[in-house]
Amino acid sequence: MRWATRAGVHIDRAACAWLIRRFIDPHAEFTFVTDPAAIPAGATAFDIRGADLSHHGPDCSFETILRRYELTDPVLWRIAQVVHEADLDDQQYDAPEAPGFDVALRGLSMVCADERVLELTGPLFDGLYEYCKRATLLGREPA
Amino acid sequence: MEQRLGQERPGDGPGLWVLLCYRVPREPSAPRIAIWRKLKRLGVAQLGDGLVGLPADARTREQLEWVAEDVTEAGGSAGVWLARPATLAQERELAVAMAAARTAEYAAVTAQAATAREAGAATRAAALRRLRSELRRITRRDYFPPAGREQAHAAVEALAGPPAPRRDAVPARRDAVAGGGAGEHS
Repeated sequence: MRWATRAGVHIDRAACAWLIRRFIDPHAEFTFVTDPAAIPAGATAFDIRGADLSHHGPDCSFETILRRYELTDPVLWRIAQVVHEADLDDQQYDAPEAPGFDVALRGLSMVCADERVLELTGPLFDGLYEYCKRATLLGREPA
Repeated sequence: MEQRLGQERPGDGPGLWVLLCYRVPREPSAPRIAIWRKLKRLGVAQLGDGLVGLPADARTREQLEWVAEDVTEAGGSAGVWLARPATLAQERELAVAMAAARTAEYAAVTAQAATAREAGAATRAAALRRLRSELRRITRRDYFPPAGREQAHAAVEALAGPPAPRRDAVPARRDAVAGGGAGEHS
Protein backbone atom coordinates (compact mmCIF):
# COMPACT_ATOMS: atom_id res chain seq x y z
CA MET A 1 0.00 0.00 0.00
CA ARG A 2 1.11 3.56 -0.66
CA TRP A 3 1.25 6.16 2.04
CA ALA A 4 1.96 9.84 1.63
CA THR A 5 3.10 12.51 4.06
CA ARG A 6 4.61 15.96 4.17
CA ALA A 7 8.29 16.23 3.20
CA GLY A 8 10.81 17.30 5.85
CA VAL A 9 10.19 14.40 8.23
CA HIS A 10 10.30 15.13 11.94
CA ILE A 11 9.42 13.11 15.04
CA ASP A 12 5.68 12.64 14.42
CA ARG A 13 6.03 11.55 10.77
CA ALA A 14 9.06 9.33 11.48
CA ALA A 15 7.18 7.63 14.33
CA CYS A 16 4.01 7.26 12.23
CA ALA A 17 5.97 5.65 9.38
CA TRP A 18 7.54 3.20 11.83
CA LEU A 19 4.14 2.46 13.37
CA ILE A 20 2.55 1.88 9.95
CA ARG A 21 5.32 -0.48 8.85
CA ARG A 22 5.46 -2.48 12.07
CA PHE A 23 1.81 -2.69 13.02
CA ILE A 24 -0.42 -1.84 10.05
CA ASP A 25 1.21 -2.48 6.67
CA PRO A 26 4.57 -4.35 6.47
CA HIS A 27 4.81 -3.53 2.75
CA ALA A 28 4.17 0.18 3.18
CA GLU A 29 5.76 2.50 0.64
CA PHE A 30 6.14 6.14 1.54
CA THR A 31 5.92 9.21 -0.68
CA PHE A 32 6.89 12.68 0.54
CA VAL A 33 5.09 15.73 -0.82
CA THR A 34 5.33 19.44 -0.15
CA ASP A 35 1.73 20.25 -1.12
CA PRO A 36 -1.35 18.18 -0.17
CA ALA A 37 -2.45 18.50 -3.83
CA ALA A 38 0.55 16.36 -4.86
CA ILE A 39 -0.59 13.29 -2.88
CA PRO A 40 -0.71 10.41 -5.40
CA ALA A 41 -4.13 8.89 -6.12
CA GLY A 42 -4.79 5.85 -3.96
CA ALA A 43 -2.21 6.78 -1.33
CA THR A 44 -3.25 7.11 2.30
CA ALA A 45 -2.12 10.47 3.60
CA PHE A 46 -0.96 11.10 7.15
CA ASP A 47 0.38 14.06 9.13
CA ILE A 48 -0.51 16.55 6.44
CA ARG A 49 -3.20 19.18 6.36
CA GLY A 50 -6.54 17.84 5.18
CA ALA A 51 -5.75 14.17 5.93
CA ASP A 52 -7.80 12.30 8.51
CA LEU A 53 -4.66 10.65 9.95
CA SER A 54 -3.33 13.97 11.28
CA HIS A 55 -3.51 16.16 14.34
CA HIS A 56 -6.98 16.18 15.88
CA GLY A 57 -7.78 18.32 18.90
CA PRO A 58 -5.06 17.58 21.44
CA ASP A 59 -3.74 14.51 19.56
CA CYS A 60 -0.71 14.37 17.30
CA SER A 61 -0.84 12.17 14.20
CA PHE A 62 0.76 9.16 15.94
CA GLU A 63 -2.06 9.18 18.50
CA THR A 64 -4.69 9.61 15.78
CA ILE A 65 -3.35 6.53 13.93
CA LEU A 66 -3.41 4.49 17.15
CA ARG A 67 -7.07 5.47 17.63
CA ARG A 68 -8.18 4.94 14.01
CA TYR A 69 -6.56 1.49 13.79
CA GLU A 70 -7.66 0.60 17.32
CA LEU A 71 -4.15 -0.20 18.49
CA THR A 72 -4.45 -0.54 22.25
CA ASP A 73 -0.98 -1.90 23.07
CA PRO A 74 0.01 0.10 26.21
CA VAL A 75 3.64 0.15 25.03
CA LEU A 76 2.58 2.00 21.86
CA TRP A 77 0.61 4.46 23.97
CA ARG A 78 3.69 5.07 26.09
CA ILE A 79 5.66 5.80 22.89
CA ALA A 80 2.77 8.07 21.86
CA GLN A 81 3.42 10.17 24.96
CA VAL A 82 7.07 10.62 23.96
CA VAL A 83 6.13 11.50 20.38
CA HIS A 84 3.40 13.89 21.55
CA GLU A 85 5.71 15.80 23.87
CA ALA A 86 8.58 15.85 21.35
CA ASP A 87 6.21 17.20 18.71
CA LEU A 88 3.96 19.52 20.72
CA ASP A 89 5.70 20.06 24.06
CA ASP A 90 2.40 20.99 25.71
CA GLN A 91 3.05 19.16 29.00
CA GLN A 92 0.12 16.81 28.61
CA TYR A 93 2.37 13.91 29.54
CA ASP A 94 5.47 13.29 31.61
CA ALA A 95 7.96 12.22 28.94
CA PRO A 96 11.50 13.27 29.88
CA GLU A 97 12.82 11.46 26.77
CA ALA A 98 10.95 13.86 24.48
CA PRO A 99 13.42 16.78 24.22
CA GLY A 100 16.20 14.31 23.31
CA PHE A 101 14.13 12.69 20.56
CA ASP A 102 13.12 16.12 19.28
CA VAL A 103 16.73 17.26 18.90
CA ALA A 104 17.87 13.93 17.43
CA LEU A 105 15.16 13.98 14.77
CA ARG A 106 15.60 17.64 13.93
CA GLY A 107 19.33 17.13 13.55
CA LEU A 108 18.87 14.04 11.37
CA SER A 109 16.49 15.88 9.06
CA MET A 110 19.21 18.51 8.54
CA VAL A 111 21.73 16.00 7.20
CA CYS A 112 19.58 13.23 5.68
CA ALA A 113 16.88 12.86 3.04
CA ASP A 114 13.44 11.76 4.26
CA GLU A 115 13.88 8.14 3.10
CA ARG A 116 17.16 7.93 5.01
CA VAL A 117 15.59 9.41 8.14
CA LEU A 118 13.03 6.59 8.09
CA GLU A 119 15.79 3.98 7.59
CA LEU A 120 17.74 5.31 10.54
CA THR A 121 14.83 5.87 12.90
CA GLY A 122 13.28 2.44 12.32
CA PRO A 123 15.76 0.66 14.64
CA LEU A 124 15.57 3.61 17.05
CA PHE A 125 11.80 3.15 17.50
CA ASP A 126 12.24 -0.65 17.61
CA GLY A 127 14.62 -0.06 20.51
CA LEU A 128 12.28 2.41 22.20
CA TYR A 129 9.47 -0.13 21.89
CA GLU A 130 11.59 -2.87 23.49
CA TYR A 131 12.75 -0.54 26.25
CA CYS A 132 9.21 0.62 27.05
CA LYS A 133 7.97 -2.96 26.95
CA ARG A 134 10.58 -4.13 29.45
CA ALA A 135 9.96 -1.07 31.61
CA THR A 136 6.23 -1.83 31.63
CA LEU A 137 6.83 -5.48 32.61
CA LEU A 138 9.41 -4.65 35.28
CA GLY A 139 7.65 -1.60 36.65
CA ARG A 140 11.00 0.23 36.63
CA GLU A 141 13.78 1.20 34.22
CA PRO A 142 15.26 -1.90 32.56
CA ALA A 143 19.03 -2.47 32.64
CA MET B 1 17.46 39.85 16.68
CA GLU B 2 17.36 39.65 12.90
CA GLN B 3 19.02 36.23 12.61
CA ARG B 4 15.92 34.08 12.27
CA LEU B 5 14.76 36.10 9.31
CA GLY B 6 18.09 35.91 7.50
CA GLN B 7 17.36 32.83 5.38
CA GLU B 8 14.12 34.15 3.95
CA ARG B 9 15.25 37.70 3.45
CA PRO B 10 15.93 38.94 -0.08
CA GLY B 11 18.71 41.51 0.21
CA ASP B 12 17.92 43.80 3.10
CA GLY B 13 14.15 43.82 2.69
CA PRO B 14 11.60 42.45 5.15
CA GLY B 15 11.51 38.68 5.72
CA LEU B 16 8.83 36.13 4.92
CA TRP B 17 6.08 35.57 7.47
CA VAL B 18 3.46 32.88 7.77
CA LEU B 19 0.05 34.30 8.63
CA LEU B 20 -3.08 32.62 9.92
CA CYS B 21 -6.36 34.41 9.38
CA TYR B 22 -9.16 32.72 11.24
CA ARG B 23 -12.63 33.06 12.62
CA VAL B 24 -13.94 30.74 15.34
CA PRO B 25 -17.57 30.69 16.51
CA ARG B 26 -17.96 32.26 19.97
CA GLU B 27 -19.85 29.21 21.21
CA PRO B 28 -18.98 26.55 22.24
CA SER B 29 -16.12 28.26 24.03
CA ALA B 30 -13.95 25.17 24.75
CA PRO B 31 -12.47 24.77 21.23
CA ARG B 32 -12.09 28.55 20.91
CA ILE B 33 -10.07 28.63 24.16
CA ALA B 34 -7.99 25.60 23.10
CA ILE B 35 -7.08 27.39 19.86
CA TRP B 36 -6.24 30.57 21.74
CA ARG B 37 -3.96 28.57 24.09
CA LYS B 38 -2.15 26.94 21.16
CA LEU B 39 -1.52 30.31 19.53
CA LYS B 40 -0.28 31.72 22.82
CA ARG B 41 2.10 28.78 23.22
CA LEU B 42 3.46 29.44 19.72
CA GLY B 43 4.13 33.07 20.64
CA VAL B 44 2.36 34.52 17.60
CA ALA B 45 2.32 38.22 16.75
CA GLN B 46 -1.21 39.60 16.81
CA LEU B 47 -1.60 41.51 13.54
CA GLY B 48 -5.27 42.23 13.87
CA ASP B 49 -8.59 40.75 14.83
CA GLY B 50 -8.36 37.07 13.82
CA LEU B 51 -4.99 37.56 12.16
CA VAL B 52 -1.75 36.27 13.67
CA GLY B 53 1.72 35.66 12.28
CA LEU B 54 5.16 34.14 12.83
CA PRO B 55 8.44 34.46 10.95
CA ALA B 56 8.15 31.76 8.28
CA ASP B 57 10.09 28.51 8.41
CA ALA B 58 9.08 24.88 7.89
CA ARG B 59 8.19 24.49 11.54
CA THR B 60 6.13 27.65 12.07
CA ARG B 61 4.26 26.98 8.87
CA GLU B 62 3.37 23.46 9.99
CA GLN B 63 2.30 24.72 13.41
CA LEU B 64 -0.08 27.31 11.99
CA GLU B 65 -1.45 24.75 9.53
CA TRP B 66 -2.42 22.51 12.44
CA VAL B 67 -4.13 25.40 14.18
CA ALA B 68 -5.98 26.15 10.92
CA GLU B 69 -7.23 22.54 10.99
CA ASP B 70 -8.42 22.98 14.57
CA VAL B 71 -10.30 26.12 13.55
CA THR B 72 -12.00 24.27 10.69
CA GLU B 73 -12.90 21.38 12.98
CA ALA B 74 -14.38 23.86 15.45
CA GLY B 75 -16.75 25.06 12.71
CA GLY B 76 -14.77 28.18 11.87
CA SER B 77 -12.87 29.24 8.81
CA ALA B 78 -9.12 29.63 8.45
CA GLY B 79 -6.46 30.36 5.86
CA VAL B 80 -2.67 30.14 6.00
CA TRP B 81 -0.73 32.71 3.99
CA LEU B 82 2.88 33.50 3.26
CA ALA B 83 3.49 37.22 3.22
CA ARG B 84 6.13 39.90 3.50
CA PRO B 85 5.67 43.15 5.42
CA ALA B 86 5.79 46.01 2.94
CA THR B 87 8.36 47.94 4.96
CA LEU B 88 11.17 47.13 7.35
CA ALA B 89 9.58 49.48 9.87
CA GLN B 90 6.41 47.41 9.90
CA GLU B 91 8.40 44.23 10.43
CA ARG B 92 10.41 45.85 13.18
CA GLU B 93 7.19 46.87 14.92
CA LEU B 94 6.10 43.21 14.99
CA ALA B 95 9.51 42.09 16.23
CA VAL B 96 9.47 44.68 19.01
CA ALA B 97 6.00 43.61 20.16
CA MET B 98 6.99 39.93 20.15
CA ALA B 99 10.24 40.65 22.00
CA ALA B 100 8.30 42.65 24.61
CA ALA B 101 5.97 39.72 25.22
CA ARG B 102 8.95 37.40 25.75
CA THR B 103 10.65 39.97 28.00
CA ALA B 104 7.67 39.80 30.33
CA GLU B 105 7.82 35.99 30.38
CA TYR B 106 11.57 35.96 31.08
CA ALA B 107 11.10 38.53 33.84
CA ALA B 108 8.48 36.31 35.50
CA VAL B 109 10.93 33.36 35.43
CA THR B 110 13.73 35.51 36.85
CA ALA B 111 11.46 36.63 39.70
CA GLN B 112 10.38 33.07 40.49
CA ALA B 113 13.99 31.88 40.47
CA ALA B 114 14.99 34.66 42.86
CA THR B 115 12.21 33.65 45.27
CA ALA B 116 13.10 29.95 45.06
CA ARG B 117 16.74 30.70 45.77
CA GLU B 118 15.84 31.63 49.36
CA ALA B 119 13.96 28.35 49.91
CA GLY B 120 15.08 24.96 51.19
CA ALA B 121 17.02 22.44 49.08
CA ALA B 122 13.98 20.39 48.02
CA THR B 123 11.97 23.45 46.92
CA ARG B 124 15.00 24.80 45.08
CA ALA B 125 15.53 21.54 43.21
CA ALA B 126 11.87 21.36 42.22
CA ALA B 127 11.90 25.00 41.08
CA LEU B 128 15.07 24.35 39.06
CA ARG B 129 13.43 21.52 37.12
CA ARG B 130 10.21 23.44 36.56
CA LEU B 131 11.85 26.71 35.54
CA ARG B 132 14.35 25.01 33.21
CA SER B 133 11.51 23.49 31.18
CA GLU B 134 9.57 26.74 31.35
CA LEU B 135 12.62 28.51 29.91
CA ARG B 136 12.93 25.90 27.18
CA ARG B 137 9.33 26.56 26.16
CA ILE B 138 9.73 30.35 26.21
CA THR B 139 12.95 30.10 24.18
CA ARG B 140 11.13 28.02 21.58
CA ARG B 141 8.76 30.88 20.86
CA ASP B 142 11.44 33.54 21.23
CA TYR B 143 12.05 34.69 17.66
CA PHE B 144 13.65 38.00 18.59
CA PRO B 145 15.61 37.34 21.82
CA PRO B 146 15.35 40.29 24.21
CA ALA B 147 17.93 41.26 26.82
CA GLY B 148 16.12 39.55 29.71
CA ARG B 149 16.81 36.10 28.27
CA GLU B 150 20.40 35.76 29.55
CA GLN B 151 19.39 37.06 32.94
CA ALA B 152 16.57 34.52 33.27
CA HIS B 153 18.89 31.64 32.30
CA ALA B 154 21.49 32.81 34.83
CA ALA B 155 18.86 33.17 37.58
CA VAL B 156 17.53 29.66 36.96
CA GLU B 157 20.96 28.03 36.73
CA ALA B 158 21.94 29.74 39.99
CA LEU B 159 19.40 27.43 41.64
CA ALA B 160 21.75 24.54 40.82
CA GLY B 161 24.49 26.17 42.89
CA PRO B 162 24.72 26.68 46.64
CA PRO B 163 21.76 28.40 48.34
CA ALA B 164 21.70 32.16 48.62
CA PRO B 165 23.32 33.19 51.92
CA ARG B 166 20.69 34.15 54.50
CA ARG B 167 21.22 37.64 55.76
CA ASP B 168 20.71 36.54 59.39
CA ALA B 169 22.79 33.35 59.20
CA VAL B 170 26.37 32.87 60.34
CA PRO B 171 28.43 32.13 57.19
CA ALA B 172 28.94 28.35 56.95
CA ARG B 173 32.36 26.87 56.29
CA ARG B 174 32.82 26.32 52.58
CA ASP B 175 33.74 22.59 52.83
CA ALA B 176 30.73 21.83 55.03
CA VAL B 177 28.36 23.38 52.47
CA ALA B 178 29.99 21.51 49.57
CA GLY B 179 29.80 18.19 51.48
CA GLY B 180 26.08 18.58 52.19
CA GLY B 181 25.32 19.57 48.61
CA ALA B 182 27.08 16.59 47.05
CA GLY B 183 25.21 14.13 49.27
CA GLU B 184 21.83 15.50 48.25
CA HIS B 185 22.42 15.13 44.54
CA SER B 186 23.74 11.57 44.48
